[in-house]
Amino acid sequence: MEPNFPARSFTIPIGPQHPALKEPGLFKFVVDGEIITGASVRLGYAHRGIEKAAEERNWVQNLYLIERVCGICSHIHAFAYSLAVEQLANVQAPPRAQAIRTLVAELERIHSHFLWMGVSAHEAGFDTLFMYAWRDREKVMDLLEELTGNRVNYSANLLGGVKFDLNAAQVQSIRSTLDFLEERTRHYQDVVTHDEMFLQRTRGIGVMTRSQAEVMGAVGPTARASNVPRDMRTIAPYSAYSQFPVQMILDTRGDLEARFEVRLEELFESIRLIREILKAMPEGELTVRMPRRIPAGEAVVRLEAPRGEVFYFIKSNGTDKPERLKIRTPTICNLNSVVRLAIGHQLADAPMILAGIDPCFSCNDRMVQVSKASDGSEYSMSWKELRQHGIDYYKRLSK
Amino acid sequence: MKPFISIIILWLFPSGIFLLLFGLFYQWFDRKLLALLQNRVGPRWFQPLADTIKLLSKEEVIPDGVNSYLFIGLPLVALAGALTAALYVPIAGLAPTYGFPGDLIVVLYLLSLLTLCTGLAGTNTLDRFSMIGATRTLTQLFSYEAPFLLALLGPALVAGSWQVGTIASYAQNHWLILTQPLGFIVALVGLMGKLEMPPFDAPEAHTEIVAGALTEYSGRGLAIFNLGRAVELVVGLTLVSAFYLGGVSNPLWFLGKTFALLFIMVGLQALLTRLRIDQTVGLWWRYGTLLVLVQWFVMILV
Repeated sequence: MEPNFPARSFTIPIGPQHPALKEPGLFKFVVDGEIITGASVRLGYAHRGIEKAAEERNWVQNLYLIERVCGICSHIHAFAYSLAVEQLANVQAPPRAQAIRTLVAELERIHSHFLWMGVSAHEAGFDTLFMYAWRDREKVMDLLEELTGNRVNYSANLLGGVKFDLNAAQVQSIRSTLDFLEERTRHYQDVVTHDEMFLQRTRGIGVMTRSQAEVMGAVGPTARASNVPRDMRTIAPYSAYSQFPVQMILDTRGDLEARFEVRLEELFESIRLIREILKAMPEGELTVRMPRRIPAGEAVVRLEAPRGEVFYFIKSNGTDKPERLKIRTPTICNLNSVVRLAIGHQLADAPMILAGIDPCFSCNDRMVQVSKASDGSEYSMSWKELRQHGIDYYKRLSK
Repeated sequence: MKPFISIIILWLFPSGIFLLLFGLFYQWFDRKLLALLQNRVGPRWFQPLADTIKLLSKEEVIPDGVNSYLFIGLPLVALAGALTAALYVPIAGLAPTYGFPGDLIVVLYLLSLLTLCTGLAGTNTLDRFSMIGATRTLTQLFSYEAPFLLALLGPALVAGSWQVGTIASYAQNHWLILTQPLGFIVALVGLMGKLEMPPFDAPEAHTEIVAGALTEYSGRGLAIFNLGRAVELVVGLTLVSAFYLGGVSNPLWFLGKTFALLFIMVGLQALLTRLRIDQTVGLWWRYGTLLVLVQWFVMILV
């Protein structure tokens, strides 16, 4: 998306390396004094070729790879992949495994929303909230470590089930952590809805109307803050969500304050849901047997990640490797709104509006289209050429 | 003997080395306390000093397209301004080293030199973040300067003198915070604006414009600007506590009162969200100036 900015315009580049961004991405803002008059986004700095790599690995190895699509919502990717492969193989994970997957997904949502709240507060220059939110986030991470053995890439999923079971002590520690987090969330909700100074930076900033959100295809809490009823857990319940229904949180205002409120309300909803799951945890096996070769076919899975809808498409040709794997993460759907909404706001609001969609750049870099600098024509490389290019490049460097 | 004493005054005490170290110590206190309030560990006690020494020993990169005399000279002018201002205020509870009628105005302008130099340093470079940062720095200067000046002139008015020493000795018997509370608030918050502390750190908001006007500075220039700010912190705290908190008649009072003020300032830093630059200007001209004028009106009536 290269912009057509007027000549002699004063652009402020935010990225690819910038303190406001935790991952690489380039946002150019044309400013007139402090007012933004134009904006553009350029991605592709963190392209890792995961989709291509997945075609080279077998079904089980891919589980390990797919978990590393995103560093924050790692579980939801493995979850989606497992569901899609199970759909292809025509098996269903046992109810207890489904419940555990859902439970980990909701714990992940809690940790992700806490992380987001901290980052957004930091963008607004409210570092105290940032530090406290991240301190409390540690509790969830510790909990996840206690359950699965890992803080970030929990590796909870197997094809056809989950790797671990819950014991009574773990259930108890989940319960006590949830009590703590519920109280803290209530406090943060009070802060972000009543702190006058903070409200000055969020109320009425980056307002996205419902029709705008629908046209731009916003997903997740960003869309729900604009009153767009889009939550995969409710409109297309998967896994254990049909047994444990979720209430969709909506807000009509569409500004940054609404996005804060929607996410914080979702925290309460997640906490409630985890308690429900613990109360009515189905008994039984943790895994079912999976066939070694997955039958040929196609599968589509849509899950609700903390940031919004995650879309997985898998095509199998009956071998032990997928023929095609397509991943679409929520950030790519929401980024468009940043570029539109920033126009007319102050430069100081731009990082806030950007953080408002909870961007995650590394997971949305699926494809890089290279165009020649000389004439702008498209340029593509085959896998062989790319490999040779890499070898030559490093030979040149080592000389 | 006289030139020897002057050299001691300028190089060792109360200006010079002593003030630099003292300023860095105050800066550490500020950082440490803020860290504790924000649930962090915070720096060790010698961290600001270590940072300064390290920065001073580093290569100074002069970017393309700048006037290199200005680039090197501006931090020096800023530090010199702050150190000179210290000669006219009762540092460490002692009487001001020098003084003449009307030196209050000179001190206030010397203190503004730091902000002015920062702004000029930003416009001197071609960097886009520096340009925006410099614009914000100077915009902020024009917003808090008038209320801050008026707030410090309040004590001068009741003391009947515009000399810092005279006002300070008058204030030793009068807790002006009780009679001029509005002036005190404006002076304290004005000092935070002057030092670009949160919530008035829009000129160096690093999530927007990296390091603002000083983005291109590294090494020596950055260290000297930072020293200037450390000295200004001490001088500013001394002025406000000498004028409003019943004077600083001895070193113990001085330490107690300045640290108490700093404590309040750190608390405000931890509690408040950064203001946008338009909100800063609005705050000062809509409320700050109005508060001081109300204060003056009351003083004139009484």
